[in-house]
Amino acid sequence: MILIGLLVTLLGFVISVLSLTLTSSVGGRLVIVLLGIAVSLFGIMGLLNKHYLKNAIWKKG
Amino acid sequence: MKTTKRLLLVLVVTLCCASLGLSQTPAAPAAATPAPAAPASKAITEADLAGAPVPSADARAKGDPDGSLTGTASDVTVSDSKKGISIGDLANQAGQNKIAINFVWTLVTGFLVMFMQAGFAIVETGLVRAKNANHTMMMNFMVYGVGMLAYWLIGFTIQMGGVGAVANLGGTPPLNSEFTITLFGKAFGLFGTHGLFLVHKGTYDVSIMVLFLFQMVFMDTTTTIVTGSCCERWKYAAFIVSTMFLAAFTYPIFANWAWGGGWLANLGANFGLGKGYCDFAGSGVVHSVGGMTALAVAMILGPRIGKFTREGKPNAILAHDIVIVLTGCFILAFGWFGFNPGSTLGASGNGGLRIGSVATNTMLAGMAGSFGAMLYMWLRYGKPDASMSGNGLLAGLVAITAPSGFVNPVASVIIGVFAGVLVCISVEFVDKVLKVDDPVGAISVHGANGLWGVISIGLFADGKSNYGGSWNGVNGSVTGLFYGDNGGQLVAQLIGVATLLGFVFTLSFVFNLLVDWVVGQRVSAKSELQGLDLPEMGALGYPEFELKTQA
Repeated sequence: MILIGLLVTLLGFVISVLSLTLTSSVGGRLVIVLLGIAVSLFGIMGLLNKHYLKNAIWKKG
Repeated sequence: MKTTKRLLLVLVVTLCCASLGLSQTPAAPAAATPAPAAPASKAITEADLAGAPVPSADARAKGDPDGSLTGTASDVTVSDSKKGISIGDLANQAGQNKIAINFVWTLVTGFLVMFMQAGFAIVETGLVRAKNANHTMMMNFMVYGVGMLAYWLIGFTIQMGGVGAVANLGGTPPLNSEFTITLFGKAFGLFGTHGLFLVHKGTYDVSIMVLFLFQMVFMDTTTTIVTGSCCERWKYAAFIVSTMFLAAFTYPIFANWAWGGGWLANLGANFGLGKGYCDFAGSGVVHSVGGMTALAVAMILGPRIGKFTREGKPNAILAHDIVIVLTGCFILAFGWFGFNPGSTLGASGNGGLRIGSVATNTMLAGMAGSFGAMLYMWLRYGKPDASMSGNGLLAGLVAITAPSGFVNPVASVIIGVFAGVLVCISVEFVDKVLKVDDPVGAISVHGANGLWGVISIGLFADGKSNYGGSWNGVNGSVTGLFYGDNGGQLVAQLIGVATLLGFVFTLSFVFNLLVDWVVGQRVSAKSELQGLDLPEMGALGYPEFELKTQA
């Protein structure tokens, strides 16, 4: 799960960089970059952090 | 209570109306009287210089109580003493004076930034429990030495080795080698290659020494952010290794992309996105890089024992000395006058006089941040929380760091107030939703507000700044969406945000995961309960105090 979380987080960055070549319109780039940011946030909060919360110290009592 | 809330609401509405009124007030019409014609310029001749009044030796021997005889033509360095002063001598002296002013400015502001280490140290130490005071203080103390060593060895080379000419400091010509790859038909600068040990490839140079000192203290600020989020459970050996990597690689790589001539800075020149990624003094480069790394390490470390109940509800673990916390915030606010105005790298030439505006913007946003945070906490919880007011001040300062050179005072206050509220919401989010333990709120202060500062340029940059006619190699002034830009600048800023979240976070996480596997990031439960002063440092921070053990 850690590896998947890291790959998804990195994927968000790659999507944002790809906006530079996928379109030349400012609006199009804006949408793609925002998508990239959302993907990275999902990788950090939805996958990586979720994995660590599963084994959190406070759940072990 | 209700009366207090009503009074506060009236105050807020009044302030908002005042700021709107101020921002919408049309400028006074220009005076009808024509500007006086400039006097016809006359070339200076060698004869003029020969006739320049110079105090006699007798007059100087009597002393100069009013200062009128000191600093005259006789103080200009001459190349040929027999010939006397020449126009060439005069021009050289003027050039050297300009660079000297800029050297002194950059060095003194760098010294102010260095003093911020003391502010960070006592803010963080005050916010932890007394049983961890020595450990937290030592981490903050040693980031200076450990970080500097790594940065001197290789970090500065990666960051600035290919920056090219820094005109305000006299050129820095040896820093001229950037490693680039070609992507989408454009050159993408990735890292510099000149400057190892500050002697490599001609980098033993006065202007490069000034640049190194200033950039080094910025990097050190980044490393000290992480210690705040990870205190009270971070193994000291792991902290040393993690800090060296951050100073040697993570920070310099992103700093190169933003400030060292790398690909982010060239988004404007290569892809028509405004002036490229702009970050005047480092909301992204310094604070978000620190914030992202702090988040990564805090997630790997896990929360302190007792921070969450078995149901996952957060417990408040109180600061042991709020007096030094707020004193530290004041020291940081003072040091920020070096951080932002110093980032002009000069006070003479190329828009150097903007230092007045940059300093005032910094002051306003910091004030607005503390005000916004205090008001938010007061309205939400019924009391003006001291530590969050301090964090609000820092949040405002973090947020204005990137835009301070490009925005006007009204925008600075808006950016600061938003930052003050954002830090409170973000602290709650990190605590209650993410359940990541951040004892000092560094992820919110530096991470979240660093990103806000980066984005705010794309919105609020007013197009009035002029630092030599261009920025990042694109002619014109940095302009945001609210001041007529087509959104290209905002996209460039958001690509910077995506890089911080997607690349910097990942790089920091992977390296610190390796450290966790090899060295182990977290202390034992026994050490944590005892307090880290004795098990990790061998001495208590307060040996004469009787400390209560918190299970």
